[in-house]
Amino acid sequence: MAARTKDPSIIDAAKNVVTDARDVFRVFARTLYYLFRGKREKGEVARQMFAIGNESLFFMCITMAFIGAIITFQTGLQSRKLLPDFSLMGATYLKLLVRDLAASVGALPLATRVGAGIAAEIGSMVVTDQVDALRMCAADPIDYLVVPRFIACVVMGTVILIIGGFVAYGSGLLVANLAFDVTPSTFNNLMYLNLGDVALGFFKCLTYGAAIAVVSAQRGLATFGGSEGVGWATTEAVVGSSFAIIVLNLIISTFGYFLVPSVGPG
Amino acid sequence: MLRALIRLDDVHKEFLGTPVLQGVSLTVPAQCIYALIGPGAAGKSVLLKVVAGLLRPERGKVFVNDAELTSMRELELAEARKSIGMLFQNYALFDKNVYENIAFPLRRLYDLPEEEIRERVAERLARVALPGTEERIPQSMSGGQKKRIGVARATIAKPEVILYDEPTAGLDPVTSQKIYDLVQEEQRATKATVMVISSDVSGVLTIADRVGMLHQGRLVFDGTAEEAKTSTIPEVNQFVHGLTEGPL
Repeated sequence: MAARTKDPSIIDAAKNVVTDARDVFRVFARTLYYLFRGKREKGEVARQMFAIGNESLFFMCITMAFIGAIITFQTGLQSRKLLPDFSLMGATYLKLLVRDLAASVGALPLATRVGAGIAAEIGSMVVTDQVDALRMCAADPIDYLVVPRFIACVVMGTVILIIGGFVAYGSGLLVANLAFDVTPSTFNNLMYLNLGDVALGFFKCLTYGAAIAVVSAQRGLATFGGSEGVGWATTEAVVGSSFAIIVLNLIISTFGYFLVPSVGPG
Repeated sequence: MLRALIRLDDVHKEFLGTPVLQGVSLTVPAQCIYALIGPGAAGKSVLLKVVAGLLRPERGKVFVNDAELTSMRELELAEARKSIGMLFQNYALFDKNVYENIAFPLRRLYDLPEEEIRERVAERLARVALPGTEERIPQSMSGGQKKRIGVARATIAKPEVILYDEPTAGLDPVTSQKIYDLVQEEQRATKATVMVISSDVSGVLTIADRVGMLHQGRLVFDGTAEEAKTSTIPEVNQFVHGLTEGPL
């Protein structure tokens, strides 16, 4: 892992991004290798799944409830000015939510919650020589530390983002009903939703879960120095994961626009 | 003359542009206790990690048991490290109980039945004078006990080379001497090649067959413990005898 320059110039910052991207790719490649060839410790994946799922669920539900409420309220306000017609409010909101928002917006708070935890945990092990001790015991840190978190993050990240999507939909329905008198039967409109939207949204959930795990683990493994280094690693894990989610969203959405058939708006 | 089990040829290592090791060459004969001494920030811990293959030098070659670690890929290094055990300065014990910590290398290296693992862990714990502590959590134990657990973990797989990084740092004189005695007894029992780095000169010289001294990343002395005590090299003389006047 390359050492980074603190307070870098623009050129240094660009070099850091390239170096980080290369290191993240290496960690990802080795994670895939050990996913099939590694030696899994009994119960470790389940422990990580419980930790990631259990620790994030309440936070994600609250966050997504607020996000759903805010989006619906703002959409309603704009619709009232432009259309004065709320009949397709639920249908458009559901399409946006499934195709993009549940995964992409939900993944950002998930990155702060899960990514920071992964980087802090691995970073602390690096600065206390535990990662070197693993290597001396023939346990590759990627295999022993990253792969269980990767599996847990992909599985539980997807589950939590889907639950978050349902919560955001529920809060949106509530706000639409209370603020704009949209009945639940009008709001529950699947006419714009198709299987392609569901597949695209699901693929985003899987990808973001993987990105959070790999980027955060890479930052954790690159920790240098003592507790200050762990602090830096944690911050960089959150920033890096969020950045990765935004870039991946752009890429997947672009491909999705051309490849996944869409009906209605968006 | 026993063959050299550890050999370093002109090893250079730097961190963020600062040289830490500057052309270190040394050999450690098989079945020897080699003490590496030197003041703080001399590069001792870095050198030990280079020997373990945990750090790659920018220049130079490192051979352990005739295998050149510096040319190996990570997967090959993992294989080579099977013959190396290491005690870390700050214990580096995992968030598991004592039993799981000591059993860890066996679980990763071999496919042994649980009964055999249990027997070997019990034998190691008896050896380091901590019998019956299998279920305890290392974080709740004293520094000396943690070092002993570290020794048990480093030696359970019966490695040919054992590296001790400051095994007595932060320990009282009595506990320190017990740890040194343990290191020596262990070496005599297993005939392993031992490299131990320490700032505690008087203690480590009681067990060392050979001594090297690092100063500012360079090996300024390499000889027997007796030669170290009578050396006229100013840095060695000052450090070994704890003098306040001198080049250090």
